[in-house]
Amino acid sequence: MKNFKLFTFLVVISFLLFACKKEDENPNVAETGTVKLIMTHRWDATNTTNFLLDLPLVHPVTNDTLTFTTFNYYLTNVKLKKADGTWWVHPESYFLINLSDPTSYELAIPNVPIGNYSAMEYTLGVDSLRNVSGAQGGALSISNNMFWSWNTGYIMTKAEGISNNSSSGSFSFHLAGFEGPDNVVTKRTFDFITQIPLTVKNGKVIEVHYTVNPMHLWDNSPSVSVLNNIATTGTEAKTMALAFYNSIVFDHFHE
Amino acid sequence: MKYASLLLIAFSFLVFFSCKKESTNPTVTPLAFVKPAHFPAPNYSFVGNEVTQDKFDLGKQLFYDPILSLDNTVSCAKCHDQAHAFSDHNIKFSNGVGGTLGQRNSPALSNLAWYPNFMWDGGINHIEVFSVGPITNQLEMKETIANVVAKLNASTNYKNKFKKAYNIDVITDQYMLKALAQFMGMLVSSDSKYDRVYTGKTTFTASEENGYTLFKTNCVSCHLEPLTTDFSFRNNGIDEQFTDLGRGHITQNASDNGKFRVPNLRNIAITYPYMHDGRFFTLAQVIDHYSNGIKQSATIDPIFQNTTGFNFSPTEKLDLIAFLKTLTDNTYLANPLYQK
Repeated sequence: MKNFKLFTFLVVISFLLFACKKEDENPNVAETGTVKLIMTHRWDATNTTNFLLDLPLVHPVTNDTLTFTTFNYYLTNVKLKKADGTWWVHPESYFLINLSDPTSYELAIPNVPIGNYSAMEYTLGVDSLRNVSGAQGGALSISNNMFWSWNTGYIMTKAEGISNNSSSGSFSFHLAGFEGPDNVVTKRTFDFITQIPLTVKNGKVIEVHYTVNPMHLWDNSPSVSVLNNIATTGTEAKTMALAFYNSIVFDHFHE
Repeated sequence: MKYASLLLIAFSFLVFFSCKKESTNPTVTPLAFVKPAHFPAPNYSFVGNEVTQDKFDLGKQLFYDPILSLDNTVSCAKCHDQAHAFSDHNIKFSNGVGGTLGQRNSPALSNLAWYPNFMWDGGINHIEVFSVGPITNQLEMKETIANVVAKLNASTNYKNKFKKAYNIDVITDQYMLKALAQFMGMLVSSDSKYDRVYTGKTTFTASEENGYTLFKTNCVSCHLEPLTTDFSFRNNGIDEQFTDLGRGHITQNASDNGKFRVPNLRNIAITYPYMHDGRFFTLAQVIDHYSNGIKQSATIDPIFQNTTGFNFSPTEKLDLIAFLKTLTDNTYLANPLYQK
């Protein structure tokens, strides 16, 4: 009985202590840095030409002359592999890269705990959960025009433009699909060579450069003279999206 | 010692309430989503969009406001009129911006919180993104979401109401859609005569009772009680050839061609015309179809395979119609909560 009362007393006292606390003040602020993904967009087989909108580009394999007017894609769910093999997960990790907005090529990930990381994982496309969970904000906002209203789901990659090789004079590829056999969402893991891990230092920014080459959309897909429009999920969308996603390569770090 | 315990308890209560900012008025019942006792658990439970009067009122204002359309002429309510259980009035296809006609009949809206997906073809998977469909459809409100958001942000009235409801300074589509979902999710019809019989509060007439018996024998395999739909997509034999692929358009699976949502039958007597294309204007035509008008096709529902229908007698048809009329919910149709 006495123990019980003592216990009650302690509960009340501890309750009192924490009752009005608004937020935790942490006296030992964790040391963190910023990891910045820099996406460099190139064209042609050797990644030497800059990929730009509103500029005629000749595809080295199909020989189509393509002038892109829109090129957008989602990069999401960034994770970093710690020395102990577990992953640090970036919360609310949703980025829309829009070629018409150069600031969107740089994906800043703040508050990364300092240390060495041996790999980075990210997802090309938007995970199925966010496709089925109602109205979203930020990069996933419907105002970004990357959302299908008639058949719910995010357009994971959108490539539009004009081409004289296309019978319609234009091309439009809306690559979507988050479930079942039509799922285009692709996780990529980039292992950094053990000798040079990704090192996050306190208060510093470390850049991780990737090369993105939209030429690879056509690695397994035909010329725009054959296929100039994708507006539904399915094999065509999946073939095109996966070839593009799997072509993204890690280039270098830069402090 | 007993006194000390009491003191402790009293003291803990004091601590418990000491941080309370303001007291709630005990005389006002706060607005809440109430699941009718005889209904199953809803699909949408307002998680992350908890019901408040401010959010609901904002959603209602948006629902009745043509600001959501390109030229500010078409509101949601234009084609979803409460007097007709939030369907359009006596027309097959509704007029969008500029008078263009839609391609499917504007469905009645009720009990949307129970729907796993939306539209005649089920293409929309969540009540919070539902409104994007009609707002951006070229034959309906023909507007972009970005424009709607810009127009709302230009309105002091809306800025203040979004601030009050969601505590945001800049209106985003996310919160506009959540507000609309709040209004739509609160549209609950559960007080028709059918409901009152179902819950033992009253009884059917003899004709209604006969109709209900026929309904339970022939119709409930799709029009599952008490919501009167199982939310599935089925080919009910209205066509041999499909001009509208329906569910097949969404799944791109030929086995879904010609299938449409099994509609919720609440208020069916006043939501004419019927079917996804509004081809039948009377319940008698609908019953005639199911009696002996079924057409065969590759995706015909198994229940209608190799039959022209249930072959109802003239009396049975009248009894079925008498039963269907008991699904009219006057409490819903006149509910001031939903009025502009």
